[in-house]
Amino acid sequence: MSEILLSIKNLNVEFKTDEGIVHAVKNFNLDIKKGETVGLVGESGSGKSVTSLAIMGLIPNPPGKITSGEILFQGKDLLKMSREELRKIRGNKISMIFQEPMTSLNPVFTVGNQIDEAIILHQKVSAKEARKRTLELLHEVGIPNYEQKVNDYPHQMSGGQKQRVMIAMAMACKPDLMICDEPTTALDVTIQKQVLELMFNLQNKHGMAMLFITHDLGVIAEVANHVAVMFRGDLVESSSAKEIFNDPKHPYTKGLMACRPSLDKNPKRLLTVETFLNAENAKISDIKVEYKVEKETDDEKYPVLLEIRNLKKYFPIKGGIFGRTVDEFKAVDDVSFKLRKGRILGLVGESGCGKTTLGRAILRLIEPTAGDIIYSGVNLGTLNHSQMQAMRRKMQIIFQDPYSSLNPRMTVGDIITEPLEIHNVGANKKERYDVAQSLMEKVGLKTAHLTRYPHEFSGGQRQRICIARALSLKPEFIICDESVSALDVSVQAQVLNLLLDLQDEFKLTYIFISHDLGVVKFLADEVGVMNKGKIVEYAKASEIYKNPREDYTKRLLDAIPRGIPVRG
Amino acid sequence: MSIKSGSLSAHAWRQIKKEKLAMLSLFIIVIYVLIALASVTGLLAANWSKEVGASYSAPSLQHIFGTDIFGRSVLEKTIKGTEVAISVGLVTAVLSITIGVFLGAMAGYFGGFIDEMIVWFYTTLSSIPTTMLLVAIALILGKGMLAVYLALGLTSWVSLCRLIRGEVMRHCEREYVQAASAIGGGHLRKIFKHILPNVSHIVIINFSLQFQTAIKSEVILSYLGLGVQGRPSWGTMIDDSKLELARGVWWQLAAATIAMMFVVLAFNILGDALRDALDPKLKGKS
Amino acid sequence: MNIWTYILRRTLYSIPILLGVALVIYVMFNLVAPNPAAILLGRHATAQQIVELNHELGLDRHWFLQYFDIVKSSFTFDFGRSWSTKQEITEMFKAGAIPSLTVSVPSFVLATIISIIISLFIAYYRGSMADKVTVFVCVALMSVSSMAYILFAQYFFAYKLGWFEISGYDFPNFLPYVALPIIISVVLEVGPDVRFYRTIILDEIYQDYVRTARAKGLSEKVILFKHVLKNAMIPIITYLVLAIPFLILGALLIENFFGIPGLGAITINAINSSDFPVIKAMTILSSVAYIIFSIITDVLYTLVDPRVRLK
Repeated sequence: MSEILLSIKNLNVEFKTDEGIVHAVKNFNLDIKKGETVGLVGESGSGKSVTSLAIMGLIPNPPGKITSGEILFQGKDLLKMSREELRKIRGNKISMIFQEPMTSLNPVFTVGNQIDEAIILHQKVSAKEARKRTLELLHEVGIPNYEQKVNDYPHQMSGGQKQRVMIAMAMACKPDLMICDEPTTALDVTIQKQVLELMFNLQNKHGMAMLFITHDLGVIAEVANHVAVMFRGDLVESSSAKEIFNDPKHPYTKGLMACRPSLDKNPKRLLTVETFLNAENAKISDIKVEYKVEKETDDEKYPVLLEIRNLKKYFPIKGGIFGRTVDEFKAVDDVSFKLRKGRILGLVGESGCGKTTLGRAILRLIEPTAGDIIYSGVNLGTLNHSQMQAMRRKMQIIFQDPYSSLNPRMTVGDIITEPLEIHNVGANKKERYDVAQSLMEKVGLKTAHLTRYPHEFSGGQRQRICIARALSLKPEFIICDESVSALDVSVQAQVLNLLLDLQDEFKLTYIFISHDLGVVKFLADEVGVMNKGKIVEYAKASEIYKNPREDYTKRLLDAIPRGIPVRG
Repeated sequence: MSIKSGSLSAHAWRQIKKEKLAMLSLFIIVIYVLIALASVTGLLAANWSKEVGASYSAPSLQHIFGTDIFGRSVLEKTIKGTEVAISVGLVTAVLSITIGVFLGAMAGYFGGFIDEMIVWFYTTLSSIPTTMLLVAIALILGKGMLAVYLALGLTSWVSLCRLIRGEVMRHCEREYVQAASAIGGGHLRKIFKHILPNVSHIVIINFSLQFQTAIKSEVILSYLGLGVQGRPSWGTMIDDSKLELARGVWWQLAAATIAMMFVVLAFNILGDALRDALDPKLKGKS
Repeated sequence: MNIWTYILRRTLYSIPILLGVALVIYVMFNLVAPNPAAILLGRHATAQQIVELNHELGLDRHWFLQYFDIVKSSFTFDFGRSWSTKQEITEMFKAGAIPSLTVSVPSFVLATIISIIISLFIAYYRGSMADKVTVFVCVALMSVSSMAYILFAQYFFAYKLGWFEISGYDFPNFLPYVALPIIISVVLEVGPDVRFYRTIILDEIYQDYVRTARAKGLSEKVILFKHVLKNAMIPIITYLVLAIPFLILGALLIENFFGIPGLGAITINAINSSDFPVIKAMTILSSVAYIIFSIITDVLYTLVDPRVRLK
C-alpha cells in the first residue's frame, strides 16, 4: 500500500464575478498516492482546473478565493504556507504543465535558458552544471538535435516539441508530483500519442505521481490508475480506473462514458448525459440502443448532388525585396470526389491538412485557384453574382467556434431571420419571425429567447442557433466545419443527434469536417482522409475503420486512445 | 466574463453606472454642455463684454474670478469660453471620427490597392509633425473658428483610422462575417450591419480622447494667434495672461486653467471607464 | 529574411512616403498659401514689383520644378534664406540645434527613466491604492494645459521664488537657464508615458508564460523584472526610438517662453512673421527625420524581437 503523497480535504473555492459569487469547487476530496496517476475528469465549468491551481497556489486573488479546506503535502498544509515556502515547493517538489504550448513559454528567452532557470532557482548550482542537466532533460524528452535546439526560441519549435520542453522544465528538479492540465488537448492526435507515451515512460522511470486533468475519457483510460469525476464543482465519483470504466455508479459518469462516439460500436443516435440523469440506476448496458442501418445506394433515388473535380487552392508566399510571390502554399491540392444526395461525407485530418479550406472553397467563400465545383449539375464557377446568390440558398455552412460565429450585437431573432431578409423570403418581419420561432423549436431552444443576445447562451445552445440560421433558407446541403469540436463531449452528443434528426426530417446532405475520427465514424457514410491538401484515402465509413489501406490512415487510427483502462 | 442579460451596450452601461468616479465625470461633462448651451442662447454670460468693475481687480465676493484689463468679469468670460471649448471638441471629434472610420473601414475591408493607397495617405500625413500641419493649415485658412475646426479635424483622424483598419481586418476573418457571406450578404451589409457595430466601442473611446485633445490644442492655436477671434476662449484667456502675470494678475490664468482641467479630467476618467466597460480585453489595465 | 534585404525594402517603401510628404508641403506652401508678395513687399507693391519678386523666389516656374525643389531639399538640406532674417536657413538650424538639444535630451532621458520606474512600481502593486492614486495623478497632470504649467512655473518658481532664471540662454553655462524648462518638460511627459508603459506591462503580466513562470516557483519580483520587462521592452523601445525625431523639433512653447534660442523658438518666430521658407524648411526637416526614424524603429523591432528575427 503506497503512502499518500497529497491529500485534498474539503476544498472550497469561490470566484467573484459581475453577477455574484460562483462556487467553483465544492467540498472536494482527493488523495494522490506516491507514484500513482490520478485522472481528474470533467467538462467545462466542472472546476477541475481550479482545483489544480489551488494545489499550486496559483488561483488569482482577486477574484478567486479559497474559502475552506486543507491540502496536505508530505504532512504540511499547502494552504497555510507562506508565499516563500510555497515558492520553494512550486517547480521543485510539485510542478505543473499547461494546455497551450504556444503561449506558455516566454517568447524572448531561449528554451535552454528557461529550463536552466528552473534548475538554478531550486538547486543552487552553477550555470554550467544547470546547462548540463538541461541537455540531459532535452534528450530524455526526445527532442532531436538537442544540442542545437537548446538555443532555439519557442516559436522555432512545433507544438509537440514545445510541450516536450514544458515537460522537461517541469521534471527538471525531479518533482514528487506533476500536475498536467489538459496537456495534449491542443495537439494533433498523432503527436498526442507520442507525448502521452513520453509522460508514461518518464513517470515509470522516476516514480513520480501525476494529476492528469482532461475532458477526454479516452486519454484518461490510457494513463490513469485512479479517476475522479467532477461536475459543476462537485466530485461525483472517485475510484479506480477499471471500476469507473467498467462499472460507473453515478448517472453523470455513466452518461459521460456512454455519450462518446466509439470506434467499435455503431449506434443510430448517441446516448446523452440526460438519458442517465433521468434514468436513475440504469446500467449503461441496460439502455436500449438502436443500431445504424446502412443507407440504400439506389443511384436513381439518390443522384450525385455535389461533384468536386481537381479542386485546387494555392496561397501565394511573398518574399524578397519587392515582396513578390516566391512560392505557393498548396492548401488544397487536386481534390476530387462525388457526394450523393442524402449521404454524409466525413472529411477527416489533422490541423493544416486543408479540410477547412476545402469546405470554404466549395461554398465559394474563398475562390478556388483551379478546378470545378458542380452542384446539381451546375458548375459554380460559371455563375455570376446573382446566380450564386440564388445558389447560396441551397448550400449552407455551420462553423466551428460558437463564440465567434454569431454577431454579438444582433439578437438571436435577427440572426436567424437575416438570411430570409436577404433573400426576400416572407412578406414582412412578422412572417419571418414566425419562421424563426419554428426553427428555434426544431433545434430545441425556447422561442421566448429570440430576443436574447448570443452571449446569453452556452456554447451548445449557440451552435443550435447556428444550425437554425443555416436551416432558415431550407437548404439541401450543409457543410459542418468542425461544428462540434469546441463543445463539451456531453453537449457534442446532443448536437450530433440533432444533426441526424434534422437530416432525416429535411432530407439533408452533409459534409462533416472534423479532426475527431470517432465523431466522423459515428456520423458519416463515407470518409475522406486528408493530409497536406490531398485526400489520401476515400472509402465507406465502415471500411475505413476496419480496413485502412494507406499508411497515414493507419497511423491516424492507431493514435486514437482506445478508452480501455490500461493501468487501473 | 459572463453577462447575464441584455445587449452588450446595456451591460457596458450597467458596468459604468457602478463606477462612481465615472458617473461624476459624466455629470460634470453634462453640466459643461448645459453651460455652453445656456451661453450660446444668451441665458448666461450674455453681457460678458460689459465693463463691470475696475481694471484688473482681484477676485472678490462680487466677482469670483476678478476682472480683466478691460474690467470685464473673468467669470463671465470663462462661461462664454465654454462655448468655444465644447464646440471645438464636438466638431473636431465628429469630423475626425467620420474621416477616420470611413477610411479605416475601406482600407480594412477591401484591402489590396485601396488599402495601400489609404495607408500611404495616412503614413504621409502622420510623417509631418502635427504642429506644423496645424500651423500650415491655419495659415492657409486664415483665422477664425472654421479654420480651427478644419485644422484640428483634418489632423487628428489618423490614429483612429489605424485602429479601425486593424479591427476591421480582424473582424473580416471572424466567422460571423463569413457566415454573413454564406447566407448571401453583400459588402454593404457586412460593413454596416456586422463589422462597424462591433468596432463602435473603439469609436466611443476615441471620441472622448479626441474631445479633450481638441480642447487642449485650441489653447496652443490661440497662443499662436491662429485661433478664435472676437470672443473669449480659454485659449485666448491663457494667452492674455502671459502679460498679466508679471503684474501679479493671476486670476484669468487660474480661471481658464481650472475650467479646462475639470472638463478634460472628466473626459479622461470617463474614457478610461468606457474602455474598461466596452473592451473586455483591456479590463483592469487602463 | 536577411536584415539587409529588410532595410532595403523598408527604405524603398519610404520613398513614396517622402514623395507624398513633399507633395503635401508643395500644396500647402507653394500652391494654396497666400501670396508671399503681400507679406514681403507690403500692401503698396506695384504689379511690376510683384512679378519681379515672384521670379526671384522662383514662384513662376513650372509646378514640377517647384515640387522637385522640395524633394531635393529633403536630401541636401539646402533650404534657401529666411525672409525675415535673411540668413541661410541651414545655418540658422545648425545654430539652433544645440540649445534645443540641451533641453530636449535631458528631459527625454529623465522622463523615460522616471516613467519606467513608476510604471514598474505600480505594475508590481497593481490594483492597490498606490496604483489607483498614481494613475489618477497622471491623468490629472495630463488635464492641465502645457501653457498653464509654463506660465505658472515661470511666474512662481523663477520670478517669485527666484530659484531659476526666468528666461534667456547661455552656452556653455546653460544649466540655470534650462533647469526649469527641463523640469516642466518632464512633468508634461511623465503623465502620458506612465499610462502607456503601464498598459504595456500589464498586457504582458496577463500572458500565459507568466503563469508558467509562477508555476516554476519564481518570485513576483523576478517575474516582473526579468520575464515581463524583457517582453515589454520591445514595444517600449520602439516607442522611444520613434520619439527621438520630436526632440529635434524642440518644445515650441517652452523655448519661446524661456527665451531659449533653439529650433522651436526659430519656428515660433517664423510663424509670427509669416516667414514661409523657414516654416517650410522646418516641416521638411522634421518630416524627413520622422521618416528616417520610423525606418530605424522598424529595423530595430526586427532585431529585438526573436519571433521576427528568426523566422
